[in-house]
Amino acid sequence: MISIKSLSRRGFLNMGAAAGAGLLLPRTGLVRPAFAQAPLAPVDVKDAMIAFGHTGPVSDEGWTWAHDQGMKAVEAAFPGIRTSFVESVPYSADATRIFRQFVADGANMVFATSNYGDFLYDVAKRAPEVAFYECDGRTHMDNLGTYYVQHWYPSYVAGIAAGAMSKSGKLGYVASFPVPSVYSGTNAFLMGARTVNPAATVQCIVINSWFDPQAATQAGTALLDNGCDVLFGIMDEAGYLQVAEARGAKAVMWNTDLRRYGPKAYITSIMVDFKPFYVEQVRRRLAGEWTPTYGLLPMGQGVDRDAWGETVPPEVAAKADAARKKMMEEGWSPFVGEIKDSKGNIKVAAGQKMTEEELYHWDWSIEGVSGLDA
Amino acid sequence: MSYRLQRLPVAKPSVAFAARIASVVLALLTAGLVLKLVGMEPLALAGRVLKSTFGSSFGLEDLALLFTPLLYCGLAVAVALRIGAWNIGAEGQFNLGAFAAAGIALFVPGPDWAQLPAMAVTGALAGAAWILVPTLARAYAGVSELITTLLLNFVALLLVYWVSTGPWLDPSGHALATTARLPVSVPEFWGIVHWGLPVAVILAVGLAAVFAFTRWGYEVRIGGSNPGAARYAGMPVRRHLIAVMLLSGAIAGLGGMMEVAGTVGRLQGGISNNYGYLGIMVAVLARAAPLGTIATAFLMATILNGGIILQTQGLTTHTVLALTGLILLYAAIGDEAAKYRIVKLAKGA
Amino acid sequence: MAEPSIQSRLGLAPGTPPLVSLRGVGKVFPGVIANADVDLDVFPGEIHALLGENGAGKSTLMNILTGIYQPDEGEIIVGGRAVSFASPVDAIAAGIGMVHQHFKLVRAFTVAENIHLGWSETPRRISRAALEARTAELSSRLGLAVNPAARVAELSTGEQQRVEILRVLARKARVLILDEPTAVLTPAEARELFAALRAFVAEGNAVIFISHKLDEVLEIAHRVTILRQGRKVATDWTEACTEKSLAQQMVGREIVLSDMRGTDIGRIGAPVLALEGVSLMSEGVTLLKNVSLELRAGEILGIAGVAGNGQRELTQVMTGLAVPTTGRVWLEGADVTRAGARRIAAQGVGHIPEDRLHAGMAPALSITDNAVLREYAKPPLSLGPLFRPWRATRLAREIAAAAEVMVPSFEMPARNLSGGNQQRLVARREMRIASKVLVAAYPSRGLDVGAINTMMRYFTELRDAGVAVVLVSEELEELLTLADRIAVMFHGEIMGVVPAEGADIEAIGLMMGGRHAA
Repeated sequence: MISIKSLSRRGFLNMGAAAGAGLLLPRTGLVRPAFAQAPLAPVDVKDAMIAFGHTGPVSDEGWTWAHDQGMKAVEAAFPGIRTSFVESVPYSADATRIFRQFVADGANMVFATSNYGDFLYDVAKRAPEVAFYECDGRTHMDNLGTYYVQHWYPSYVAGIAAGAMSKSGKLGYVASFPVPSVYSGTNAFLMGARTVNPAATVQCIVINSWFDPQAATQAGTALLDNGCDVLFGIMDEAGYLQVAEARGAKAVMWNTDLRRYGPKAYITSIMVDFKPFYVEQVRRRLAGEWTPTYGLLPMGQGVDRDAWGETVPPEVAAKADAARKKMMEEGWSPFVGEIKDSKGNIKVAAGQKMTEEELYHWDWSIEGVSGLDA
Repeated sequence: MSYRLQRLPVAKPSVAFAARIASVVLALLTAGLVLKLVGMEPLALAGRVLKSTFGSSFGLEDLALLFTPLLYCGLAVAVALRIGAWNIGAEGQFNLGAFAAAGIALFVPGPDWAQLPAMAVTGALAGAAWILVPTLARAYAGVSELITTLLLNFVALLLVYWVSTGPWLDPSGHALATTARLPVSVPEFWGIVHWGLPVAVILAVGLAAVFAFTRWGYEVRIGGSNPGAARYAGMPVRRHLIAVMLLSGAIAGLGGMMEVAGTVGRLQGGISNNYGYLGIMVAVLARAAPLGTIATAFLMATILNGGIILQTQGLTTHTVLALTGLILLYAAIGDEAAKYRIVKLAKGA
Repeated sequence: MAEPSIQSRLGLAPGTPPLVSLRGVGKVFPGVIANADVDLDVFPGEIHALLGENGAGKSTLMNILTGIYQPDEGEIIVGGRAVSFASPVDAIAAGIGMVHQHFKLVRAFTVAENIHLGWSETPRRISRAALEARTAELSSRLGLAVNPAARVAELSTGEQQRVEILRVLARKARVLILDEPTAVLTPAEARELFAALRAFVAEGNAVIFISHKLDEVLEIAHRVTILRQGRKVATDWTEACTEKSLAQQMVGREIVLSDMRGTDIGRIGAPVLALEGVSLMSEGVTLLKNVSLELRAGEILGIAGVAGNGQRELTQVMTGLAVPTTGRVWLEGADVTRAGARRIAAQGVGHIPEDRLHAGMAPALSITDNAVLREYAKPPLSLGPLFRPWRATRLAREIAAAAEVMVPSFEMPARNLSGGNQQRLVARREMRIASKVLVAAYPSRGLDVGAINTMMRYFTELRDAGVAVVLVSEELEELLTLADRIAVMFHGEIMGVVPAEGADIEAIGLMMGGRHAA
């Protein structure tokens, strides 16, 4: 049965969303206040309570686990602070109940690590003295901010390594749903790969879940059977990595370091790290400086490639890292026209650089990516 | 001297009541023991649950919002049981009611005073329509409604999921996998508690009165208990079966309308939150009595609300689900145990 | 004067202990004393009849003896030791087995499978052939002929009973309890059963035989124990009893089983209910074939025949529960062929159905709900669409009082009443609406002599009040005692209608076998 809860893990990013211009930051700064409004009153650390509502179990070794690490960092940074979290918060009126309960329990700050929409806003409206954050949200309120990661840059870096290590030039992708995170991930991955192998392609299989080890394993097997020899995906577990390991292929993962499940196959992972972000926001809240922020965490400050796997040749790693360094130090972007979609239409004119907002809302496949566009 | 259990033909009401209280107490004790074993403080937790549920208007409001859909679904299942039909499809009818009501609210413009009644009627009709085929199949072909109503749940769930992520997806782009916020909502009368609650309670009282004090209610009672006797007395058994099952679907559909227009505000997949299935338990624990359904829906809402509070106290959803199941299991055992008494045997075997 | 001992009269050695004894057994259900202080001795070689009215406590006593209930008082002694049975499994292990009135066989299984089902001696793994061979061996050893390979569903009632008995005897029962075994048998089958029982006790075993039929008890039993209101009235040698003496002890008063026919011929009035060429087909089977009957006010028309020859369908057509395929039904000159049960009942036709638990009552509902089944829709119980429960209870009280049924609580489910009391309530309920016709199907089935007597008195009351009564029965004697005319059915057809007075039983018997009236 399809569960709406899993769909919303990173939410549906809508093209044409009225996310105001200038909302997304240039990658230079971490966050910036949206409005010049009065910050929330300071809170003593002894009285403070920080709550997290997660979409999955903290033991998922993936997305939720990474957020839970953030909570642990907050606990370490502010000794004596009270924290609370609920796992697997459903995308239903029960979510409202859980967030209300946080508020009733005295939370000063509530992080929703996925998109809960009205279920969160209804509570935020009634608790103006509590700071709320919605991961991947797009609604702004005086006490509600949003945050997400610019995962397309490390995906591009990983793509360079994948393209270099693929013999067939056929890359496979285990997709959850055709959502922008998947479009930007596959597109960036292929663009990276094509810098070393211009004939590379990406074939996607959509399994309609963020967490379904069996389906992910089957999809991985099918991709390898089709001639792919490097797998990528956006799963919360290591299913297709194990397939790649068993079949002598390679794999790029998401969220966390999963190399122990397939040390030979492991290339890298799109690592997310919310620890500095959470610690900083809690600090601002306690200090009485907090006003809502609406940022995307840039590469190096919340999202990055993992240390390269043991079978990645040093020259491949060096090549990929060179691109990474250029992006991080020079602000270089590989997402520059001319870019064609899978049907051959020119979507980005030559010389034109895609904005962060466009990358965030990417909803079409570039030429060479198959399996997502209808 | 030895003791033995003996089955009684009927459970005395006082014994049944005592057994139910005892079963809840036992379940709580067991739950406490388990919590103690995993290193929690059961008494402190219990105190926290009680305080959070009954000690603040926040808790009471949440309780009321949980109670409302449970009562609608419980009533839907209970009503069908009166004529001997198992409506396993309250979940689907609830979804359809929400779907139809949301459709009216989103796409049929009109003044508020006209839209809410139109949504209620449409929601109820949609619920009834969703049970129509199982009803006719049962009435004319003897097809078990147990299976047909259950299967239609999946269809309804996926239908709502599809429209709310597809054709009806919030065009403003602000929402995820839901329709736009409905332009009308069931008015609130206390905090976030809306008029869906008093309507449900009035419905329960009304149904109890209809079953007790109308000829129709009497005929349904006979027809549900023994269709052969009803035919013998010349009662239109089939017509009553159809009417009661459609009524059952309509109640669940109305519940869906109240949920979408009162509590959630948008149509989305999973809006029923298993209320339809929980309604089966509510109805069975109430032995299909509409007034009893008020009490069992309240009990169920308290348990579920307690579960949410426990989650914020660091218990996993799995533990909470296990505890919920435990309490219901004990309640069922208590019901059955009330039919037995312990007798002393004069001589040992 | 030394009366010869029981042992010597049974041809046993002096001092032979009983196979089983009950001492002071008592059993109380909430509000009811089912048994009190019952003593019973059953000796080897004895067929011991247990006689009593419905609700006299016979079934409870036997359920105690077979471990279904545990006694509240007293003890069971087997082989000189007090025993306690937790379940029928314990009882059968002690050599006591019972064949119930309603067989407990799995109809889809073969005879061999049923015999071996739930038997500790059944080998864990066994082929079908071996199972059947074991059954055949048992069958010949115990002198009960069965076909081991046959499916139970295909067997006649008599054969099914033999399987049940074999099932019990195979488990080495020494005391066989039979609950009204002949109720379901043809006379020939009953004779076979009696022969088998005599052979069984001749080997030093015993039979406890529960029955209502006095003649049968006198024929088969050595001794008879009579229960009344849960207590033992007497244990007598049957040689010393007559049907009349037994009946008196059973009901505690003198009963006259005499001619109840009306003598005043002038009372018979105009035709009330008429069937004209009625046929009923269902799924290609002819259930009724061209039946024409005329029923007159103030008469009792008996319908005789072996059960299953269309009597049930005839009553259904008469009461609107079935619509004939062809033909007409007239009620006082109006065509009611398709009027339906409700309108026909409303016009004064009462119906005591064949199977009251499945057709005439809702056993799980309260006595009140059941008592008002015919009048709930009329004032004062209903006003328009409104139903008034308090008026219903008042009517239920009236009906219970008229039926002389003691009801501790009208909220109690009707199934808690004894079969006889249920039947009386239904009969009284139907009599209230039967202003023109009462159709009674097997009203005495399962009732004891006293209750039958009461029931027959009801019918004569109605008859004398000018109501036409249709009485379906398989007891010819009952019809001859009561009816004015007797119609005989065979294969859905009326073979003939004869006046009851001076009727030739032989001729009726031939018609029941399919011969048309001369």
